[in-house]
Amino acid sequence: MKGVSGRIFWVCLLLVLIFTGFAWRLINLQVLQHDHFSGIASEKHSFRKVIPARRGEILDRYGEKLAVNIPVRTVTADGTHIKDPKALAKVAAPFLGMSEKELEEKFSTKDPYVVIRKEVSEEKAQEMIRAMEQAKLRGLYLEEGSIRSYPNGEMLCHILGFADRSGKGIDGIEKVFDAELAGHEGFRRIEHDRKGREIVVYRGQEQLPEQGSDISLTIDMGLQAIVEHEIETVYKELRPVSATAILADPATGEILAMACRPNFDPNKFNEAKPEQMRNRAITDMYEPGSTFKIVVAAAALNDKIVDEKSRIYCENGLFQYGGKTIKDHHKAGDMSVGEILQYSSNIGSAKMSLRMKDGDYYGYVRRFGFGEKTGIPLHGEITGLVQPPHRWDMLTKTRMAYGQSVAVTPIQMVMGMSVIANGGKLMKPRLVLSKGEGSAVRETEPIREVVSGKTAEFVSTALEKVVSQQGTAPLARVEGFSVAGKTGTAQKISPRGGYLDGRYIVSFAGFMPAEKPRLMGLVIVDDASIGASANYGGLVAAPVFSKICSRAARYLDLLPSGTTIAHASHSEEKP
Amino acid sequence: MSGNRRRATNAIEVNFLARLIMFVCFLGLAGLFFVYLKNQQHAVGNQSRMLEAEIRETEAKNAALQARITAMTSRGALQRRLDEGYIRLEAIRDVAIARVTPPATAEADGVLRTASRDSDTRFGPGVPQRVLKR
Repeated sequence: MKGVSGRIFWVCLLLVLIFTGFAWRLINLQVLQHDHFSGIASEKHSFRKVIPARRGEILDRYGEKLAVNIPVRTVTADGTHIKDPKALAKVAAPFLGMSEKELEEKFSTKDPYVVIRKEVSEEKAQEMIRAMEQAKLRGLYLEEGSIRSYPNGEMLCHILGFADRSGKGIDGIEKVFDAELAGHEGFRRIEHDRKGREIVVYRGQEQLPEQGSDISLTIDMGLQAIVEHEIETVYKELRPVSATAILADPATGEILAMACRPNFDPNKFNEAKPEQMRNRAITDMYEPGSTFKIVVAAAALNDKIVDEKSRIYCENGLFQYGGKTIKDHHKAGDMSVGEILQYSSNIGSAKMSLRMKDGDYYGYVRRFGFGEKTGIPLHGEITGLVQPPHRWDMLTKTRMAYGQSVAVTPIQMVMGMSVIANGGKLMKPRLVLSKGEGSAVRETEPIREVVSGKTAEFVSTALEKVVSQQGTAPLARVEGFSVAGKTGTAQKISPRGGYLDGRYIVSFAGFMPAEKPRLMGLVIVDDASIGASANYGGLVAAPVFSKICSRAARYLDLLPSGTTIAHASHSEEKP
Repeated sequence: MSGNRRRATNAIEVNFLARLIMFVCFLGLAGLFFVYLKNQQHAVGNQSRMLEAEIRETEAKNAALQARITAMTSRGALQRRLDEGYIRLEAIRDVAIARVTPPATAEADGVLRTASRDSDTRFGPGVPQRVLKR
């Protein structure tokens, strides 16, 4: 009996010890090491899933899409879920455009996250998943993403810029407004089962993405297409180093079209050369030549140094000053300010500048916006080059009067000429109409009044005569419309100093209709492959301006203001 | 003798037993109901996950198709097709134009026009409103 009781005691003790052990283990797992094991479990099953934000689109002023997103998928593999790499490779290969052997090698892993292929189209990715489900295979997963696409290809490339494969803006509007376009990605804390499927009931903290804003530009793609076509034609026919054209609304400063050659396709930005990617309208400066004569004429008139009736002796075409000779193509004695502009007299312009005080003249140059950034919302804009009076030599002032010893960017020239078209007011160039739905459209305000309305009107009338049969740019005429403008023919500067013989940057800056300007245009052709005798702003750039504005007038259905057109002989000044 | 035997027999306490059985059954049913609800929750969660995936897929397909339409109807693409002769432009005959506002005629002011749009509203105050409405 005693032996039985003893055995019972020992069995009970053993059971107590066993269950005490179990209890201790349970306390150890559930309480003492709770954080450690829950961390391991969380790592295995729970993670932070990123919800990408849609990048905003870029649109023209009428909503035409210029930059859009194409949804794509990144195919990833979880090696721990792949049971039969060979079978999976056979199913997936046709959809991924990879060989079965290559895929099998990639699938033969125990790594839970392997990127198999990026930028797989939505349709192919979904077809692949369906094929896997039919074959009862698993281990491949899809991640959301998108690539940026520019449906118009090369058109407007310098303004749009481009975004890289990760969706980050690298150049142009894509870069300047990257924060607005990108939005903010969201996230969701989720857990998934052993098959990798989300367990919805265990969803944790969640933050929805803030989608990127669409950006509407002031660009009118109808006008842009016209400008692109004409600039492409001149680029192919005359094979210049570069060509630039800009169309703007002088009253608001809105840029309606802008094109440069050479250009590039932002869809293939990695194939583009640096010189193709440069937006020469804002990054390049050039000596403007005679187009700059509007500054001295307007300044002298505005300060009443001269008036409409003043006659300036133009030395019959040869003027010795500072040990140098200034020449005029149109040899004349006395000329009025209007005639100086009409015949593009270097001597008349130089003499007007000499009548002004250095500081006053310099002040006007700066007030026209030269020597400072215009503030166009694009990266890489330069200030141009305007030397202050204390750095001038004896000739600088006279040279500046006809557009030498000064360097401007094409966008500065457009805004400067717009001062004349806009009653003397300088506007800030505007490229963005609105950012995001419901965003307020800012009214444009002038930066400053540069010259009086009366002065601007007088210069404008004089510039109309430039486009007359007797002026330097009869080929800039637009049938049915009054056009005002100024040609420019400037010798190219040699990198070694001085000028390059026979090589010119020719330009035409003008606006129409002259009495109520709706379009301001600039065409610049840098070093066209034609003879020096034909390489004038009035012969090369003016006809391009005319073609652009003729087509633009039809496109905009502008009310014709005049009826005459004629061809004329050429008498433009070369410096 | 019989009295002693009656004393030694444990009496079944029906009331207590019934209460116990009821309690256990209630607990069991509550447990089953909890499991049922949990299963339902998972099933509904699964459905919503599949539905969300379907919506995402449809949205992505829609975006892909929109991008394709944009690419095919872009100015560049249309110009290319025009150059290739795949499409051509045909002038709209005057009789085929329905005019909302009476056009200003050449007889009225001696000026020939290309279309009947009002040029003053093109870049006028109307433009920003059009953009905002979009």
